[in-house]
Amino acid sequence: MDDVLTNPAIRAYLFRLIGEDGISLLEKFPREGEYSDEELAAQTGINLNSVRHTLYTLYEKRLAEYRRIKNNETGWLTYLWHLRIEEIYDIISEEMEGILEKLEARERFEEENDFYICKTCGILSTFNQAVDDNFECPSCGLQMGHFDNEILLRALKKRIRAMKETLGHA
Amino acid sequence: MSEPEEAFKVIQSRSEGVLQSELWKILDVDSRKCSRIVKKLLDSGLIERIEFRKNGIKTFILKAKRRPVDPGLIMAGDELIPCIGCELECSVRECHRLMDWMYELAISESEE
Repeated sequence: MDDVLTNPAIRAYLFRLIGEDGISLLEKFPREGEYSDEELAAQTGINLNSVRHTLYTLYEKRLAEYRRIKNNETGWLTYLWHLRIEEIYDIISEEMEGILEKLEARERFEEENDFYICKTCGILSTFNQAVDDNFECPSCGLQMGHFDNEILLRALKKRIRAMKETLGHA
Repeated sequence: MSEPEEAFKVIQSRSEGVLQSELWKILDVDSRKCSRIVKKLLDSGLIERIEFRKNGIKTFILKAKRRPVDPGLIMAGDELIPCIGCELECSVRECHRLMDWMYELAISESEE
């Protein structure tokens, strides 16, 4: 767990999903056993709503699981949670498959187009859009200049290659 | 998930490896069963086993052979790719957040 949470990329990923309270819950989640949301809130001092929100988000990503028990006298259900943080590499791998598709689509777009930029507004247009606008910025009306996307494209290609390699597609 | 798969995940999630004497506790199986699981993983070439002495007692460190994906690839410098957790309708061609990330990527690549 600590190994996982000290990895900056995994931490950034989890932070995007569950925020600061969520990370704090992961750090304070007892290493052994299973706990109800209320027990976790009491033990960690994190707001009950945040605990619940975090657990459901982690559950959706298969990073937490629960066991449901029923109190036969009252009929009340209690959900006992434990973490499955060891799944994180598989989850990130799945996310990366989706990202790879997007980056490849972007790569094709960058390769197939010539771009024009407004140096004042930063607005970027494809050649066709720029022709339609008479090479004038659609926002400020100033003349647009050619934008060389070579450096962006090179970085993108390199990253796509690295992703394919780590995902075993290469 | 089968027990060997479960065991492999645990081993894979720790870059420094797992002691076999701890693995069976993590998996909640007995040590004999754990040995059989470990043998399966060794036979299929998924893990390696390194002899290790803990308090004079011989045990083994188990390490995954195939490293899990490199999570660092979803980052450009300190910036996580915006697609993670994004709920906007995806427009890869026009996404400004993705464009910003690509700039970060180009900068971080040139700094390497």
